[in-house]
Amino acid sequence: MRQANLKWILTLAIACGAMTVFFPFFWMAVTSLKTAPEIQRVPLQVAPDNWLNFANYAEVFRREPFLRYLLNSAIVASIAAACSVVVSSLAGFGFAKYRFPGREFFFLAIIGILMVPFQSVVVPLYVWMNELGLLDTYAGIVAPDLVSVFGVFLMRQAIETIPNDYIDAARIDGASELRIFFLVILPSVKPAIATLLIIKFMWSWNEFFWPMVVTSSPQMKVVTIGLTSFTNMYFIEYNLLTAAAVLSILPILVIFIALQRWVVQAVVMSGLKG
Amino acid sequence: MRQWYRLAFPSNHLERRKRVGFLFVLPALLFFGAVYLLPLAQSVMYSFYRIAPGGARQFVGLRLYEKVLTDPTFWGAVWNTVQLLLMSVPTTVILALAVALGLNRISSLKWRNVWASMYFLPFATSLVAAALIWQWIYEPVYGFLNYALSFAGMRPHKWLQDLNEVRPAIAAVSVWVRIGFDTMIFLAALQSIPQEYYEAADMDGASAIQRLRYVTLPLLNAQIIMVCILELIFNFKIFDQVYATTQGGPGGASQTVIMLLYDTAFKFFRFGDASVMAVFVFVTLMVVTVVQWRIFRKPVEY
Repeated sequence: MRQANLKWILTLAIACGAMTVFFPFFWMAVTSLKTAPEIQRVPLQVAPDNWLNFANYAEVFRREPFLRYLLNSAIVASIAAACSVVVSSLAGFGFAKYRFPGREFFFLAIIGILMVPFQSVVVPLYVWMNELGLLDTYAGIVAPDLVSVFGVFLMRQAIETIPNDYIDAARIDGASELRIFFLVILPSVKPAIATLLIIKFMWSWNEFFWPMVVTSSPQMKVVTIGLTSFTNMYFIEYNLLTAAAVLSILPILVIFIALQRWVVQAVVMSGLKG
Repeated sequence: MRQWYRLAFPSNHLERRKRVGFLFVLPALLFFGAVYLLPLAQSVMYSFYRIAPGGARQFVGLRLYEKVLTDPTFWGAVWNTVQLLLMSVPTTVILALAVALGLNRISSLKWRNVWASMYFLPFATSLVAAALIWQWIYEPVYGFLNYALSFAGMRPHKWLQDLNEVRPAIAAVSVWVRIGFDTMIFLAALQSIPQEYYEAADMDGASAIQRLRYVTLPLLNAQIIMVCILELIFNFKIFDQVYATTQGGPGGASQTVIMLLYDTAFKFFRFGDASVMAVFVFVTLMVVTVVQWRIFRKPVEY
């Protein structure tokens, strides 16, 4: 009896916590459906007058080139994710299945990069981008984001589990090393590739610091920066800001919910790297 | 030396294969070298030079270190950052641990997943969006938080606009954003603990508290330390949330180290001063990580 009660209390506590954590999302969505006078009502009213009032969303697109911001983020995040998969799986293959001088050293060196905070290298990177004429370009935004240590680590772990016999069999059949990479290795690590694609897309989409540094013109803003343009006024119109926030979060949230299993796996892996 | 020569000029197919392996790894090495190692070395170099806006450099030795490290603004930012992380790191880790322990006890797999995904959601959100949503909740006049607290008879607070409330308010946002990440790691670790350990503890007549104290926590030791280190690093580098909301205000009460670094470098274009801060951040995080790892790491065996 006492056990059963305890179980209910526990479930209730977990559920209350989950609701609390979820509440800001709910509040954001509700606010984005309200008019400016509605959000200033006293006493505060939770539900919007009209649940289908999407005027704020239209206004967001009218005020700012928000579609462009979304597109910029999508372009940058896609390039980062794709490039990361290619370079990381090549490196993972090299580290997992070949012996060459310095292999262990190089791998440890790459893991050691985790100790270098990006903010510690940002000034020289900015100077480089300036000299290369890449300020305010897609190439400039995406450049430092193309590969992540986590990707190399993840792909090495995944490729290590492929039996060497498969590779040797392909070699006996006369396949070149690159062919083996494409026809044997990549198809066997699809889950790892999916994991890396998703997490890397998510990280790049949410990136803020470097795009702030490297972009200046309105048409190169990514969506995280575009969001802040709704706060630059003396008075913040929260009905518009929350609509913009919904737009910026929605794509990533849909991906996250649809593919949560992979994301969780990626996070657990990224945790294990420490 | 010889093996490197052989790597460049292989004489048989085995050596050629080694070269292929090296070439596969090369793009990643070049990338990390170019984006992290070389700029890190340059950051260190810049910190010894006074750089004029035109690009003219003058070697000034440790003068910039002396200037930055005796600047009360800099130490103010460091102190703010430390206060922020002292509030958010323990809170996040303890709450995440509690949530993970709770989730692990929920027997219905379906419901466990539902609750778990709600805790994870903020993790998928950008820090900027998260901070702005919270700024709206914190709004002194029309915000939800003051409204909710009014039912408890509390007078309205100014939160982000108050000298003393701004840091706890920002720390709470960090907790909200990070709790899902930590929970995921703890939950995965909990699920990998073999059930026999608990059966053995039950046979010895251990209470729930004793099971937690003598079985679960020791087995989670590695994850707890790792999460603490990750949280410490994450919170030390706090920038997005502050920049999007208070910009360091009111009165510099939420100015953080990275905010100051950003302003110094990209508002005032004092690259030398900013590089001193960059070196400071790098060295601090490295020392903290190594020390934490050394002191607390105990081998875990299942």
